[in-house]
Amino acid sequence: MSDYNKPLPVIEKWNEPYWQAAKRHEFVAQRCPACGYIHLPPGPVCTNCLGPDQVWVQLSGKGSIYSYGIYHQQWHPGFADDIPYNVALIDLDEGLQIVSQVVDCENDALGCGLRVEVTFDDVTPEITLPKFRLVGTKQA
Amino acid sequence: MGLQELSDTVCIVGVGDTKQGAVPDKTGDELAIEAARAALEDCGLKKDDIDGLFVQPSYGRQGDYLKVGLMLGLNPRVGGAVEASGATGCYMIQHAALLLNAGMANYILLVYGTNQKTNRNRFGGALLEEHAPYGAFNPSGPFAFAFRRHMHLYGTTEEQLATIAINQRAHAGLNPKAVQQTPITLDDYMSARYIVEPLRLFDYCYITDGGHAFILTTADRATDLKKPPVYIRGMGRQEAFRAYETPDLVMQSFQQEAVAEMVFDMAGCTPQDMQALYVQDAYSPAVIAALENYGFCPRGESGRWIQDGRIALGGELPLNVNGGQLSETYMVGWQNTCDAVRQLRGECGARQIKAVERLMCTYTGGLREHAGALILRS
Repeated sequence: MSDYNKPLPVIEKWNEPYWQAAKRHEFVAQRCPACGYIHLPPGPVCTNCLGPDQVWVQLSGKGSIYSYGIYHQQWHPGFADDIPYNVALIDLDEGLQIVSQVVDCENDALGCGLRVEVTFDDVTPEITLPKFRLVGTKQA
Repeated sequence: MGLQELSDTVCIVGVGDTKQGAVPDKTGDELAIEAARAALEDCGLKKDDIDGLFVQPSYGRQGDYLKVGLMLGLNPRVGGAVEASGATGCYMIQHAALLLNAGMANYILLVYGTNQKTNRNRFGGALLEEHAPYGAFNPSGPFAFAFRRHMHLYGTTEEQLATIAINQRAHAGLNPKAVQQTPITLDDYMSARYIVEPLRLFDYCYITDGGHAFILTTADRATDLKKPPVYIRGMGRQEAFRAYETPDLVMQSFQQEAVAEMVFDMAGCTPQDMQALYVQDAYSPAVIAALENYGFCPRGESGRWIQDGRIALGGELPLNVNGGQLSETYMVGWQNTCDAVRQLRGECGARQIKAVERLMCTYTGGLREHAGALILRS
């Protein structure tokens, strides 16, 4: 049994394929067959054209840090040992922006515009969280 | 009928408030009702004159409009709840203006009461369920992201941001209603702990108990009442229900720019015509965003623009002269509207803005889903 005590994603009808893919270490989003729009969070129709029957596609997992914050306050006991920890807004190359964390680096190494790529954190036997790590060097 | 034709047709004629801060002996609903009584007293109307009632729900399951209506003993022609988080008070005023113009009501009462301090509402939840696994708790995160981005793009500094909290605390020192009156220095600000870096303790609103109420009527009915009417010159709003999907919404640029276009068009004026500004400041970067998005200063320059007393009482654009939510009280924008009305009536004593006749209040709700603005005149 896991002693993981952070909040876990709530799996529901629309996001279940996203979390199933993450468990397979795949990073996916919904794509509209009608207009090609790629979007998250998942829903029943395309948020661009209302087209039905959204399909799941692989993302490149590459992007850049749009911005980030360093959390010094404990709002959940599961994060007590992580403080200060970062939360980052990631601009994915496919045009989406998601909330995640940048791992395997000191908070001081973070910067807006830095390139990142997805990495997978198997936090429980059932749940894997897509996170990001820095790649390359700091952009001007 | 276009929006411009509604300019100056509706007035705020009564405002009421209660003790702010810790009010442990009263429920949120009791505070709402106490504020409603104060607003009636303020304008001289009787309870039975009221034919519209809107109530903002508050944390801890207070503010159910049916319960508040029952406790107030009202059967209004129009009533209900408006739910738009921190923009609710603004949206209610806008709805009231439309209903009054349509003749569906003559005197509308708006109330909000909360005991969120006594109840210890900590705003510790995640923004969206899917953000909780990443530790993105508390609504301040996106404001920290926004300010970090601003620092990156424009070279804005934490010392520049400090001006907002320091300035509002100085204003609060002139306001007997304010719960935080002790002045703070740049050293105090910089030595305070980070909450979500780059934001520090003084960049956060101070959670309080309290109640506020407003009474609105048509301009022709407003002139017979106890206090000088305050006219609604302009109204604007823009929703962003795609806030979690659309990239680069942290500084709310498209959203607040749309509000600005509507509110200034209706009012027939420009940001430079405003003699004061109230920004609903749950966190201080809200001020940075509003100054740039509403056109008070050029994009990216707000960090420098707010220096040298420009936003202080007596400066070019007095900003949150009540102390705002950082220092006066946290009433999700209601406290700013209340102070704006009192400023336009000339009731503000030591913090009175000289010869103020026209000012603007801006509001945001949720993470960024709701945005609205009012231009008020005496």
